[in-house]
Amino acid sequence: MTTETMRGTVAARSTAGIGWTRIRPLVIHLALAAAALVMLYPVIWMVVSSLRPGNEIFREPSILVRDLHIENYRVGWNALTEPFTRYLLNSAAVVFGSVLGNLVSCSMAAYAFARLEFTGKKLWFAIMLLSIMLPIHVVIVPQYILFSQAGWINTFLPLVVPKLLATDAFFVFLMVQFIRGIPRELDEAARIDGCGRGGIFLRVILPLMVPALATTTIFTFIWTWNDFFSQLIYLTDPKMYTVPVALRAFVDATAESSWGSMFAMSVVSLLPIFLAFLLGQRFLIKGIATTGIK
Amino acid sequence: MRPHIPPTARPRLRALAAVAVASTLLAVSACGGDSGGNSGGSADGKITLRFTWWGGDTRTKMTQQAIEAYQKDHPNVTIKGEFGEWSGYWDKLATTVAANDAPDIIQMDEKYLREYADRGALLDLKKAEGLDTGKFEEDTLKAGEFDGGLYGLNAGINSFAIVANPAIFKAAGVAMPDDTTWTWDDYTRIAAELSTKLAGKGWGTGAPGTNEAALNLWARQHGESLWTQDGKLGVSAGQVTAFYQQVLKLRDAKAIPSAEFVSQDMNAALDQSAMATGKLAMSWMWSNQLNAMSKAAGKELKLLRVPSVEGKADANGSYYKGSMFWSISSRSKHEKEAAEFVNFLANNTTAGNILLAERGVPPNTEIRSAITPKLQPADAASAKFIQDIGKELGDPSPAPPVGGGQVEKIIQRYTTEVLFGRQTPDKAAQGFIDEVNGELK
Amino acid sequence: MSALGELGSLRGKKPAGQLPDRGGGAGKVYKKDNLAAYLFLAPWLLGLFLITIGPMLASLYLSFTDYNLIQAPQWIGLENFTRMLSDERLHNSLRVTFTYVFVSVPLQLAVALLLAVVLDRGVRGMAFYRSVFYLPSLLGSSVAIAILWRQVFGTEGLLNQVLALVGIDGKGWISDPSTALGTLVVLNVWTFGSPMVIFLAGLRQIPTMYYEAAAVDGAGVLGRFFRITLPLLTPIIFFNLVLQIIHAFQSFTQAFVVSGGTGGPSDSTMFFTLYLYDRGFGNFDMGYASAMAWFLLVIIGAFTAANFFASKYWVFYDD
Repeated sequence: MTTETMRGTVAARSTAGIGWTRIRPLVIHLALAAAALVMLYPVIWMVVSSLRPGNEIFREPSILVRDLHIENYRVGWNALTEPFTRYLLNSAAVVFGSVLGNLVSCSMAAYAFARLEFTGKKLWFAIMLLSIMLPIHVVIVPQYILFSQAGWINTFLPLVVPKLLATDAFFVFLMVQFIRGIPRELDEAARIDGCGRGGIFLRVILPLMVPALATTTIFTFIWTWNDFFSQLIYLTDPKMYTVPVALRAFVDATAESSWGSMFAMSVVSLLPIFLAFLLGQRFLIKGIATTGIK
Repeated sequence: MRPHIPPTARPRLRALAAVAVASTLLAVSACGGDSGGNSGGSADGKITLRFTWWGGDTRTKMTQQAIEAYQKDHPNVTIKGEFGEWSGYWDKLATTVAANDAPDIIQMDEKYLREYADRGALLDLKKAEGLDTGKFEEDTLKAGEFDGGLYGLNAGINSFAIVANPAIFKAAGVAMPDDTTWTWDDYTRIAAELSTKLAGKGWGTGAPGTNEAALNLWARQHGESLWTQDGKLGVSAGQVTAFYQQVLKLRDAKAIPSAEFVSQDMNAALDQSAMATGKLAMSWMWSNQLNAMSKAAGKELKLLRVPSVEGKADANGSYYKGSMFWSISSRSKHEKEAAEFVNFLANNTTAGNILLAERGVPPNTEIRSAITPKLQPADAASAKFIQDIGKELGDPSPAPPVGGGQVEKIIQRYTTEVLFGRQTPDKAAQGFIDEVNGELK
Repeated sequence: MSALGELGSLRGKKPAGQLPDRGGGAGKVYKKDNLAAYLFLAPWLLGLFLITIGPMLASLYLSFTDYNLIQAPQWIGLENFTRMLSDERLHNSLRVTFTYVFVSVPLQLAVALLLAVVLDRGVRGMAFYRSVFYLPSLLGSSVAIAILWRQVFGTEGLLNQVLALVGIDGKGWISDPSTALGTLVVLNVWTFGSPMVIFLAGLRQIPTMYYEAAAVDGAGVLGRFFRITLPLLTPIIFFNLVLQIIHAFQSFTQAFVVSGGTGGPSDSTMFFTLYLYDRGFGNFDMGYASAMAWFLLVIIGAFTAANFFASKYWVFYDD
């Protein structure tokens, strides 16, 4: 479809021998497995530590566990004022709202920036980028005041409403870059078929940017799940605490900490995001290559 | 007071953002009225108090139990506990105070006490109704007292001390020192001997100077003090230099581990620290950490008095520090009820029996004797240590002035510089003094 | 025209504008569409004016004041900015931050791109590896990171144990001022999952026909990478570069967690934002912290603008 703009030749030719072709997958697997092991060491250490009695964690240099001390999970689950289920559900609620918000609002804004012509576009685009650049620590106090005037403190609103209003400019920018990778001829074809702007967005752009939407979902899920600072600031009642806020309540730098429980609950809190990634990544590979457009 | 609208703001942009900016600026200027958050009372006489503390899950459990006990006797009062971990705690407190939305009852640390009190964020507890300090050990009140007011009520007594691991002494074949007569030279010699005997498997002692308390003790032993009563730095460059020379003496005698090791240990969590993992025979520590440290080390540890210049325990500069304080927000709408609850935490036997010595040895002497039999061995040992040194103490140590909360980070940095040999003691001392003075306001 | 013919000129395609402001692969000029555009932008604009701009302008105002969070701010004009000129710890934090940005961003992106390409096609079980390589990034800013990093780079950590096997005396990597920053670079590279995922998503948008054509022509792995993958991936590489630079300049959590909030040892990991935080929340000097934030915004803005300017010469869009 873009043939008229292309010319020239590809010069390089494969010179690889047949033997190499056979060995290659094996070599790649070995290299990847070795790299994975090195990368995962800290994670493995964490899982192992979650299965040790608290006071052995730092005194035991070996990474092998002799007996499984699942006690940490039971104790950790109920160690704080609410059962850990509560924090998991709270986090899930915040994550759900955030993902939904980001998907809808960021893709709309991104479509406008990537495909539509309008007055003030450059200015708005620059402002969008600027809004990613200010460190959170200096805006948190004014923002807190804003939300407390609205009476939103100790609700999930300060965490979710900004996402519904596309304040995560990172994702707007991400989607702009992806939409610009989609050939414009497709828009044109749809327009000739009678689609308006909304139709093009819904029928052409959205289906073609599934990888970007998957990326947004995965990142929003993970980053919101792990976000400590704003959840700490806006949620005051322990009943409203989310996982990252609760996790830190196991640790006291100057006194007794429940490392066993902390590691156990860290492992527990890793599971949802790991599952989210496992599921989400399947959509990453549903790119143009698999949507029938070639 | 009203904020000046920045002249740089462009009129059109400002008009567009008027709603958001106006409300934000108004509230930043602290004249946005009392937003009060959810700490209000309602028509039926029910009152909700917000109570915030930092600490691990053990503390959270105990404190929650104390809250429930109080609510049972006071059905009209609901107390909402908010807990969190140390560093996030202070970010949140600063933010809520800035937004005029502070909790009513605040667990406070010496570091930040004057920071908040001097700026009018805390209530003078002397004027609070329903709070009784009659049973308190006199010295323990001083730490929360300045400018004629009481802004933080001592919630537990603490003293800086040396913690020793008798098992390591035994393994090394070194006798435990007599801590009532030992000098800095004894301390250095014994620690060096331990290091030699342990032959790389451990060291004699952790370094002093990983927080400001050891420097304060050193200054007090030499007739100075880290802070003065009127909120200034009280230690001279000469004494800081001498202190760092002592640290180098320890390093050169191999009494302390390598610079890298000490520097790594400075910010290690208690359980991950070298004392807990059995690499050190002695270390510097706050007395109320004995229980946690013993548990982490899996050994029975022992508190020792700090060494002195002439080998006299009553001249070693020790003092009672508030491990933490109870403060009440000056903007609380329920000062009386908040004070009554603090009174319960401090003076009620029921509360004492629940809270025990988790926040440090209770300053109320009656509560202290009531709970002593119930304490775990290590907590009982630290309570006894506090009791024992009571007769030897000097003047109370003044709380750090506004900006003084930074001193721990500053001394850590200069100690690192000295240990790595990047700065000489006198240069580091001058740098330390200049920087601390720069922080004070 | 043959498929092969299409490929060679990818590099020669029209340069991308600095902004997506022009339309038309075939040179068509699209007319303005203000109504539709502002409707699509409505949520974002609402958020901008209600949530983002207010606090941003408030912090701009505060940067001209002495504000201790508890009492009302006092207007002091440019004093905060002039103070920055003589603040040596601030200058040090700039040095640390720039070093970190220039070392860790290229490293992280190179690793992420390499892994993304390797994992994209041709390896069986790549879904498994993808997940495994992403796992460290899931840990994010967890408190566990501080502990884990000491477990690896501490004096008795894994690295030193491995070095001891080959007879090398290790050291306290985290606690030695000369290597502490290096461990944070490693930490950043270790969490390369996010750019890797973005690369993966980008790779999936490259039409397979290009590769098929190249295969017909007998192009090797490297040939395919440099002639097809790399040029077609430039918008995504550009995105990752811009964002990772912004991100690295703002880097805070990892240094905060690993150094226990001190930026130590000896300020060797005192990032600009960490120092900003230390001034704002540690020293109750929010006016100064706000001034620092706006100074950082100018720096990041300059880098981003330079990036967009340079992108004209190396980023290729398909639109």
